Amino acid sequence: MEQDTQVIARGLRRRDPEILDQLIERYQYRLFRYLIYMVGNQETAEDLFQETWVRVLERGRQYDGKSKFESWLFTIARHLVIDSQRRRQPRFLDLLDAESDAQPPTIVQDQPSALERVAQRETSEWVGAAMAGLPASYREVLVLRFQEEMALEEISEVVGAPLSTVKARLYRGLEALRQFLGGAQA
Amino acid sequence: MSDDIHKRAESLLTASRVEGISPSERGWLKAHLQDCARCAEHAATLERAVAMLRSIPVPLDRALVEATRFRVRLRAHELREERVRMLGLWISCGLSWALGVLSAPLVWQELEWVGERTAIPRPAWMMAFVIWWVLPAVVIAAVLIWRREPAAPRSRHPATLAR
Repeated sequence: MEQDTQVIARGLRRRDPEILDQLIERYQYRLFRYLIYMVGNQETAEDLFQETWVRVLERGRQYDGKSKFESWLFTIARHLVIDSQRRRQPRFLDLLDAESDAQPPTIVQDQPSALERVAQRETSEWVGAAMAGLPASYREVLVLRFQEEMALEEISEVVGAPLSTVKARLYRGLEALRQFLGGAQA
Repeated sequence: MSDDIHKRAESLLTASRVEGISPSERGWLKAHLQDCARCAEHAATLERAVAMLRSIPVPLDRALVEATRFRVRLRAHELREERVRMLGLWISCGLSWALGVLSAPLVWQELEWVGERTAIPRPAWMMAFVIWWVLPAVVIAAVLIWRREPAAPRSRHPATLAR
């Protein structure tokens, strides 16, 4: 892993398009999935997808190869999501950084969103609906943990929050999902 | 069974998914789930929730990926060109600075001589010397500001980007 990240860091320092091509190929689905769950809108997610890779090229020299590339990639994407959503919804950052000592969130099924539209199967529809009803801060850690299979420390690095906060958000998010599924089955 | 036992089991079930639990806790939980239908159902629902979370597909348009690659290559090309331009600018700066340092005594003497001959007050020709000294930096700063280009437009299709 270490050698791999060093190769990436060297390539990014040289702004080598071949390395960028390989990284896009390798991380395209994971990055797009994160973005679509974070912004809930296909078009915005597509814009941010492009923007993230351009930012990776421009800021590539800041990646030192000591941490996993995906953590750095998702951190860049997260900052772009925050900038983008803050323009549309000024309180988005507050929602994303919301303290987790509140009551567990309750998922409310609202109007069909892009998240739901991308869901093609029954289970996907359920997950799309459930995730769309969750606060962004919970959605984010759930995606990073269970879809991207990141370690808690990596998630903490990406979201810039203490480990305890990450865990609390995961507990509450998971509980909300379980309750939603339990309710749907009842 | 008391509510506390069920709560402990539920808490351990979630903890096992989030940060893991100890072997002794795992053993206790396993035994409890065999006896308690309510908690077993809770465990099954949680298991399904995580499994569904992991299985959801997100459709990614291949054209978007290609357009992204194109945009990244285009930007890499722009950055390379910019680097060459900046290198030229820095070389000019270095030469300008070196010439400025070397010629400063001469310029000072010339301005002093002109000042004495034309009865220009000393602060005035000294100010002229300062302006002569900072002029290259002002010109370079103006060039840098002027050359700053707007960001490349966003597009999903390489053909649109190329126009």
